[in-house]
Amino acid sequence: MIHRAHHLQDERLFDSYMAERKGEPVDPPIVEHLADCESCGARYAELTAFMDTLRHAGDAEADSIFTVDRLRVQRQQIARRIEHAARPARVISFPGRLVRRTINASTARTAPRWSAAATAAALFLGAAMGASYQWGARRGQRLIVPDTSTARVARMTSIAPRGTDPADVAADDAFLSDLEIALERPHTLELQAFDALTPHIREIRDQR
Amino acid sequence: MSSDVRTAPDGIVASPAHADPLDLGVPPSAAAAARRAVGAPPSEDSQLAVDIRGLVERGKMDEARERFGELVALHQRRAARIAYQYLREASEADEAVQDAFVKVFSHITSYREAWPFEVWFTRILINGCLDRRKARSRRDRWFVDGEATSADEARASATGPATDPEHRLLARERRARIAAAIDRLDGRQRTVFMLCHYGDCTPREVSIMTGLNESTVRVHLFRAARNLRGLLGGKP
Repeated sequence: MIHRAHHLQDERLFDSYMAERKGEPVDPPIVEHLADCESCGARYAELTAFMDTLRHAGDAEADSIFTVDRLRVQRQQIARRIEHAARPARVISFPGRLVRRTINASTARTAPRWSAAATAAALFLGAAMGASYQWGARRGQRLIVPDTSTARVARMTSIAPRGTDPADVAADDAFLSDLEIALERPHTLELQAFDALTPHIREIRDQR
Repeated sequence: MSSDVRTAPDGIVASPAHADPLDLGVPPSAAAAARRAVGAPPSEDSQLAVDIRGLVERGKMDEARERFGELVALHQRRAARIAYQYLREASEADEAVQDAFVKVFSHITSYREAWPFEVWFTRILINGCLDRRKARSRRDRWFVDGEATSADEARASATGPATDPEHRLLARERRARIAAAIDRLDGRQRTVFMLCHYGDCTPREVSIMTGLNESTVRVHLFRAARNLRGLLGGKP
């Protein structure tokens, strides 16, 4: 039996806490002392509360992040990763065609030469056609419009008359107002009845 | 492989003779003695690991993978808790847990039943977490700190059991204080404390994992608890 005048050291209290938590037997004299000594009992209770709170706070935090769903996803990811774990790696020859071509040295040498010649020919033809088209267009312009100043005047006169004719202006106004009315009107059939009952802002403005 | 047998300050023993990260660095005779000390009959997970090893050796990979799923389910939550306490970031902890399980499966043939599977697995996990912590500290030298409250913290507070915002806030603050206090512990103390407290390991198991003497583990554990009480003012 431990004498009551002596108190348990912190280390002993901590060891007892650890043993109790793991379900291991605690020294009987310590158990006896803790039952008898009020001070040591209080210290032990305080230590236990502190350690338990630490533990529960940590576990609760981790568990709230690693939920059941998240752990399930994690298991699936692990399963996916170990799917290929013990299998030999696949060797992919890249690029396959080139590898095959290099086996035959003569083919490998003629192919680039041929393709270079084809590219040069295509380039030449393209340039020649482009040049001939530009030359033809310039010649045609010269034939149709001999004087550019006259053409510019003709273009201006073809646009101008539309704005000056009063009949055209009235037609434009009518069209725009029709469009405005059409846009303001409700498009839904169900709302047309409400629209008929409700005074229009234009009508109120006119009454004033 | 980077997660080799580990540096002394973090509590995982470095041993040049045992460069294999999955080797516990203790001779088989000592391992057998430890097995006897830890508990004679192999636990469920250790037996499962032995079975999986047999299946892999016989080339029955599909069956081995299926059985490995059971092993993952047994240790997953505990592994997530340990990794999260070490790394304090959900995505990184998630990756660390995955890496540890994949590594275990890839090296299952090197598992020896002389050791409890839990000890073997936890050691691999801890080494992975330590690697990640080191990599992060290297990375953080070049970046300024982000926001004080991480997305994980926010998620944790949102999904916590307490629905009252005030309780949530208090719980969040308390968790942050505890995490900061644990982070201020000495490397060995932190490792021992986390393994015992969050990893549910006995001082004897931690002694096997870390290569430290069991009484040394107990001393570190006690000092860690005392320091935490000091840092947290007696109340978590």
